[in-house]
Amino acid sequence: MTFEDLIASRVRPLAETLLREGLHALRIGEADLEIELSRSVPSGGSPQPASLERPTAVESHPAYDVITSEVVGRVRFLRPPATVGTLVEGDRELAFVETLGIRNPIRSRGPGRVAVVFVEEGQAVDYGAPLFALDRS
Amino acid sequence: MFKKVLVANRGEIALRIIRACRELGIATVAIFSEADRAALHVRLADEAFCVGPGPSARSYLNIPNIISTALITGADALHPGYGFLAENARFAQICADHGITFIGPSADVIAQMGDKANAKEMMKAAGVPVTPGTGVLASPADAASGARKIGYPVLLKATAGGGGRGMRRIMEEGELENAFRAAESEAEANFGDGRIYMEKLILHPRHIEVQVLADSHGGIVHLGERDCSIQKPSHQKLIEEAPAPGLDAHVRDRLCAVAVTAAQACEYTNAGTLEFLVSGDDVYFMEMNTRIQVEHPVTELIYGVDLVKEQIRIAFGEPLGFGQGDLSPHGHAIECRINAEDPDRDFAPAAGLVSAVELPGGPGIRVDTHLFAGLAVPPYYDSLLAKIVAVGRTRASAISRMERALAETRIEGVKTTVELCGEILRDPRFVDGAVPIDFLPDAFMVERERALAQA
Repeated sequence: MTFEDLIASRVRPLAETLLREGLHALRIGEADLEIELSRSVPSGGSPQPASLERPTAVESHPAYDVITSEVVGRVRFLRPPATVGTLVEGDRELAFVETLGIRNPIRSRGPGRVAVVFVEEGQAVDYGAPLFALDRS
Repeated sequence: MFKKVLVANRGEIALRIIRACRELGIATVAIFSEADRAALHVRLADEAFCVGPGPSARSYLNIPNIISTALITGADALHPGYGFLAENARFAQICADHGITFIGPSADVIAQMGDKANAKEMMKAAGVPVTPGTGVLASPADAASGARKIGYPVLLKATAGGGGRGMRRIMEEGELENAFRAAESEAEANFGDGRIYMEKLILHPRHIEVQVLADSHGGIVHLGERDCSIQKPSHQKLIEEAPAPGLDAHVRDRLCAVAVTAAQACEYTNAGTLEFLVSGDDVYFMEMNTRIQVEHPVTELIYGVDLVKEQIRIAFGEPLGFGQGDLSPHGHAIECRINAEDPDRDFAPAAGLVSAVELPGGPGIRVDTHLFAGLAVPPYYDSLLAKIVAVGRTRASAISRMERALAETRIEGVKTTVELCGEILRDPRFVDGAVPIDFLPDAFMVERERALAQA
């Protein structure tokens, strides 16, 4: 299993479980694999933007380049949307964040393969929220 | 009532607003910069959105991200606090354009009063006494001719100013050119507006201001005066009290009446403060602050009115629940600003990690603060860490309570103004009351420096 497949098949579902269940950390162990995800959450328990729910394990992978939001707004994917496994050449627009009706393009800033998509269509994101992780290797 | 208020600020005032909202049953949205991710206002609000990196120009002044946060979270009102966007008329208008109620006066009134030179002209026309001065100055030469007309000493001020920034005292013509350039660039850096005007410098005045509340139905009251004469060399206030000690009753009555007239003249709504210089029986209007002020707790403690809640109720369109006859001050209140700065080094800001915090309490003490042990004070913002406020039946009892509270206060890791405030409270000239605004920079700090040098 490549690292991308691992992220797509294991880490992302775990991250979703973590958020859905409101957990702070989650550890899953198998024969040759152990995955631990944790997040920092403020108290209050109400809906929070993605940057407060950042799965930290993914970012520590050295080959991954996490692309974050510079604005507060809602995520809009392109047609067809960039998904896990999408190969990107050059500086391509992956999606945009809509702020006050203005389209803020999210660019790949170079070639790579989309390894993680952190957000969903229409999701509210704030400054610094992770949107995509690109594998530059 | 509003369903959800976006708190467009940080630090102690963000907490103050969140508290008022919670007591009124209103949900809150905090905004924060990356440098404030661990801040208390982020934790205490119902929701929190990061709006930019540490420098305020890209976060707490980032209008698109702040408005977008309000729209995404469904906030129906926004409280700007003080500083940042609180007196930005364009921002107030943008809020209105997006259907978000700006908790403060209308954009038009903010613009009128925010242009300090224009505000003076308006007040003059309404019969409010003002200091002799000029309009906006185009050049140092323009300033020199203005100063010759008014007579030295003069004061250069930023038209977009506040908090003492962009202000310069000039005793004679030789100092004018350098001071003009310095004031201009300071104003440009702080307010994005380098326009400068000039006023006659009133020697040895007191800074006395009057709090007003006006609703949108024509109801208006004043909540007496605050004496803010203890100011640092930068003109920023350090200790404030209410009522003003030793102020003649007829001067007080005149100040309060003039303040109400002035607020009515500009069709003011919400909480506002009219600042005056007082010299003997002479009073001069300086400027109107169209926001809640740092020192509002001293008024709250002697009038028993929650000014932030009143701001919210007024913004929602409710009439004031009281008239002038229902208001009377009880006792005396003093506030000390505890700043992260080093009084021994010209009040240089002291960013760093606060390793330990012990705050005072007990009878007659209120502490408004965002401090906690482990807080990293970012280098980007105002240095205010805490406001300690003491109230007593008399000024003497308020002072002794404050001295006791300061002695209980322990903040480790950064330099603060705790000890300096204690020293000022023990100075016989402060105890006597009615010191002028030059007391701290020109007398007390000079003597203190001399004493430290000898020690």
